[in-house]
Formats: sequence, C-alpha cells, structure tokens
Amino acid sequence: MSNAQIEIQLIASLVAIACAIPGTFLVLRKMAMISDAISHSILPGIVVGFFITQDLNSPLLILLAALTGVITVVLVERIQKTGLVKEDTAIGLVFPALFSIGVIMIAKNANDVHLDVDAVLLGELAFAPFDRLFISGTDVGPKSLWIIGSILVITVGLLIAFFKELKVSTFDAGLAASLGFSPALIHYGLMTVSSVTTVGAFDAVGAILVVALMIAPAASAYLLTTDLKKMLGLAIVFGVLSAISGYWFAHWLDASIAGSITTMLGVLFLLVYLFAPSKGLIAVMYREKQQRIEVSLLTFLLHLKNHNEETERHVNHLNEHINWQKVRSKTVLDLALKNNMIVIDNKIVSLTEKGDEFTSQAIDYIITNEDAQIEDMKDDFFLFRG
Amino acid sequence: MKQKIAVKVDDLTVAYNYKPVLWDIDLEIPEGVLMAIVGPNGAGKSTLIKAILGILKPIAGSVSIYEKPYEKQRSLVAYVPQKGSVDWDFPTTALDVVMMGTYGSLGWIKRPGQKEKKAALEALEKVGMLPFKSRQISQLSGGQQQRIFLARALVQDASIYFMDEPFQGVDATTEIAIINILKELRKAGKTVIVVHHDLQTVPEYFDWVTFLNVKKIATGPVKDIFNDDNLTKTYGINYKVSIQE
Ligand SMILES: Nc1ncnc2c1ncn2[C@@H]1O[C@H](COP(=O)(O)OP(=O)(O)OP(=O)(O)O)[C@@H](O)[C@H]1O
Ligand SMILES: [Mg+2]
Repeated sequence: MSNAQIEIQLIASLVAIACAIPGTFLVLRKMAMISDAISHSILPGIVVGFFITQDLNSPLLILLAALTGVITVVLVERIQKTGLVKEDTAIGLVFPALFSIGVIMIAKNANDVHLDVDAVLLGELAFAPFDRLFISGTDVGPKSLWIIGSILVITVGLLIAFFKELKVSTFDAGLAASLGFSPALIHYGLMTVSSVTTVGAFDAVGAILVVALMIAPAASAYLLTTDLKKMLGLAIVFGVLSAISGYWFAHWLDASIAGSITTMLGVLFLLVYLFAPSKGLIAVMYREKQQRIEVSLLTFLLHLKNHNEETERHVNHLNEHINWQKVRSKTVLDLALKNNMIVIDNKIVSLTEKGDEFTSQAIDYIITNEDAQIEDMKDDFFLFRG
Repeated sequence: MKQKIAVKVDDLTVAYNYKPVLWDIDLEIPEGVLMAIVGPNGAGKSTLIKAILGILKPIAGSVSIYEKPYEKQRSLVAYVPQKGSVDWDFPTTALDVVMMGTYGSLGWIKRPGQKEKKAALEALEKVGMLPFKSRQISQLSGGQQQRIFLARALVQDASIYFMDEPFQGVDATTEIAIINILKELRKAGKTVIVVHHDLQTVPEYFDWVTFLNVKKIATGPVKDIFNDDNLTKTYGINYKVSIQE
C-alpha cells in the first residue's frame, strides 16, 4: 500500500466515525431526512464562506457553512410549526431551495470558485492526499485528515461529556425538560455537530456519502442491539468497515470511492436487515412459523387434557379432529414427543406428567396473563417470547 | 389550620401556534393532597402539567412551587409523562430508564454511579419490576411500562409528583398496586397530582379534584365539589354519576 492509499483509507474511516456518532442519534430521533437536508443546503454557505475566506479548508468557512445547516433546521421547524405541512414536506421545501441557490451561485461565479456540483455530491476522496497541510514548512499530512480529525475529537469529547443528556432528551424530551436539561439546547447542539461534520466531510467525500455514512451504519446497528452504547459502537464499526471495503472495491473496479463506499453501506444494511438475529426479516419469519407450530402444539395438548376417551386420542382421529394438514400434525407430534410431553402407545396418545403440567401452566398463563409465571417457561417455549 | 400551598398557578394561558388551549387558569394545590385532574380529551390536562413543569412556555401567567419559580425547585418535583409520549423501541433497559430519574440531582455532565443504581433497583423493587430490570423496554407490557415510569418518578424522591394518566391501559391488579403506592406517598406528606379518566374511581382514590376544560371549572376537596353539576359543566353533557357516599 502506498502512503496515499493509507491516507485515503484513514480519512474515509475518520469520516465514517465522525458521521456515525451524530447519525446514531439522528436515527433514534427519526430525523434521518434532516441529515439529507443539511448536507445539501450547506452549499450556499460554503460558497459564501469561500468568497470571504478564499480557502475551502478554512475553519471559518466550515463554521459559516455549518450555520447554514442549522438555519435549515430552524426553517424546517418554522414551516412545520405553522401546521400547514408535515415535517417531510417542510424538509422537501427547504433544502432544494437552498441547494439550488448554491448551485446558481457556483454557476455564476464559476471562474472564482473551484467547486463544481459533481464534486459537491460525490466528493474527491481520491485527491484528498494531494492537498497537504504545511506547518512552518513541514508537511504534516493531508488537510482533510486534519480537518476531519479535529472534528472527530470534538465530537467524541461532546459525546462523552453529554452522553446522559443526549440519551434522556432523545428518549423522553418531556422528562429532560422537567429535569432542567434543555432539550432545545441539546437538539441544536446535535444539529450543529451534524452540520459541522457534514461540512468538514463533504469536501472529501461529498454530500451523498455523508448522508449514507450518518444513516446506514446507525440503522444497521439499530437492528442488532438493544443497548445505546453498543449501538454507537456497532455503527462506528460498520462505518469503518464500509469505508475500507468500499475503498478496495473502488480500487478493484477503478470506480468512484464515494460511490463504492455508499454501495458497501447499502449491502451491509441489506445483510443486517435480512440476517439480524432478532429483528431481521428471516428471524421474524422463522419466529412466526415457530409460533404457529407452538400454538398448534398447545391446542393439541389441550385437546388431550380435555379428553380421556381413547377414541378421541387415537392418532388418526387427531388428524381429522383437529383438522390440520398431515405435515403440520406430524411436526406437532414430533415436537411434543421430542419434549417428552406425550407418549404414543398403540396409536393412542397420552400426556406425560411433564406435558400435563406444562399444559396447566400454559392455561393459567392465558387466563390470568400473569407475567411472573411465564418467566421460566420462556426459555424453552417460543410462544411466550416478546 | 392554614395549609401550605405546594403548587400555585396564576392567570396561566398556554397556546399552541397562537391558539390558546388553556385560558386564564388559577389554581392552588395544597400540600399533602392526592389530587385528580379530570376533563375530556383535549381539555388541556397534559398541557397544564407541561406548563407547570416548564416544558411549555405559557403566553401569560406564572407558576410557583412552594412560592418559588419552578426552575429553582426542580429537585422537589417528579414527573410521569403520558405513556405514549416516548418511543418504547429506544435501545435501553428498564433499569436504565429508571436511572434517568436520578439525572436531575446529578446535573449536567456528571454520570450516575453505584448510588444511583442502588436507588433505581430499590424503586424497581417497590413497583414489583425487579425481575424485569434487564429487559429491553419494548418487550414490556403496557402495564409494566407504566410501572417503570412510576419507578422512575419514585427514584427522584420528590415532594410533588405529577402523573399523566398512570392508569392508562393497566389491568385492575396494577391499578391497585399503583394507587397503593400513591397513597403511601401521600401518607409520607407528599403532594400527588394525577390526570385521571375513570370518574367512577375518583372518590375512592383521591381526596382533592380539579375539573378542567380549557378553563378551570372547579377545584377543591372531592367530598365538596365532586358532583353532577361540575361534571356537567366540564363534560358538556348532562352527567349523572352513580356514586353513593
Ligand atoms: N404539540 C401540539 N401542537 C398543537 N396542538 C397541540 C399540541 N399538543 C396538544 N395540542 C392541542 O392542545 C389541546 C390540549 O391538549 P392536551 O394534550 O393538553 O389534552 P389532554 O387534556 O391531555 O387530552 P387527553 O385526555 O387526550 O390526554 C388539544 O386540543 C390538542 O389538540
Ligand atoms: Mg393528555
């Protein structure tokens, strides 16, 4: 690996981490669309900032452009507050307007601004290593690395300091307010961090990848865990993984790095969406099937408990009586046998002691809906989970 | 004997988008009462609580808690929001939600430690939810979620408790468990204010009541003012309660 290659991967990974942190909270606050809005509407801010500073990497430009991001959020909220349109509509009204102002400004001043719209959307990660930072004459690395590195340090610092405040105001803004943690302050703090990250990252990776890096890793992590800290950790891991694998994918295909990373994010989300252990599509389908079988099992056990007559408990009769297809009755019989709930003697089915006890417990549960009783049954019986 | 006033509301008007939903409310809640706020859907009951707790900014009027503004008295007040106001799919556990009740006394930046955890476990025990402490909150039943909220308020160890429909969607057993805890709080000298929908149980559960429908209709001891006249004024229809004392 050449130095430039390592630097590109490093930049991409730092961007991924810096995006995953605010992204996690945006996803939990159901504000994914806001990051899209911010990433586009910062454009006029960047152009104006460039007129003033003449330097795409100046911290002042980053702050100015980030301010446009926060203004977007305020505008969206203002429009929404009128009660005339919903939030998504308000977002749809604000960001195209701001983005197009930015595009027009670039077109009008094409000679003065070294920006073009493609670069805004997709970034120029491949060129990032060429724009270097010199401190008193010595080359200390690519400028983007320093910019995103500084933003990341600030973001992590804020996260550690205000983790508890972010958590409580995201989960329950009313409680946060009554406890004296101003949810508005935290909200705009989060919006500012998201905006600053977006601006800092956009030069390297472009608007589209910034949005993807904020939302996809967090959304994937959300499907895998029920713990906020783990969700943050997983989002970071997913972001970095996609960044590095995306880089090599692009290298191999000789394609756009940002595009490949976005693709990797999409693939990753799809995999998680399908295979996540409890919230994944396949797990959900499997669970539903299990539940169906277990409801049948319970019906079957109840029938045995209610009938002492041998005719009612003959294998053939059961097939007809409970009116299942052959396959299902076989699965159910097997399941009951495997769990030692029944014995079959000469084609007559009887409950074992264990089966009898289990059935009584289950009836109790269904009648009283008492959770305490069910706690111990949960492990070996799907029906009562969740 | 002159009773201390725990909560005082003066000329309070609250609006959403300039449309007032509470008009000119005056209210005095004496210390140590167990008070129901009753009124139809949309009457502004939740709004009143939110305005008292500084969650909403009123367009006019003022609120005081033991004669000082709410901001100075936060530590005296605990709040149980309406259950539907939070996202129960949030990635966190029952214990963690209860711990949030301790955040107020911690203040900004400081993190909860062993002491806070112990308090939270005790509160969970009190509401009978200790076995569920590590459960993800979406995997709790509605009644259990309500108990978790109650535990979170208990952990705040406040003097005044505001609860927005704590009986919403709970079964009879849980309702009795909750009301017993509320009565215990009152016995300990606390003031408890509850938004309540089941008019039948008002005389049994509460000793004080406020009728609210955009305006304050009446407030006072249940035995004096809980009558058909006030119910009719509040609910608009000709109300007959079949309650015998
Ligand atoms: N965020 C909001 N924006 C605009 N209007 C609101 C908002 N919240 C409540 N309202 C309106 O304010 C009025 C009072 O609402 P509030 O929630 O206080 O009623 P409530 O008495 O608690 O009703 P419920 O019994 O249904 O809980 C209603 O007309 C409602 O539509
Ligand atoms: Mg309400």
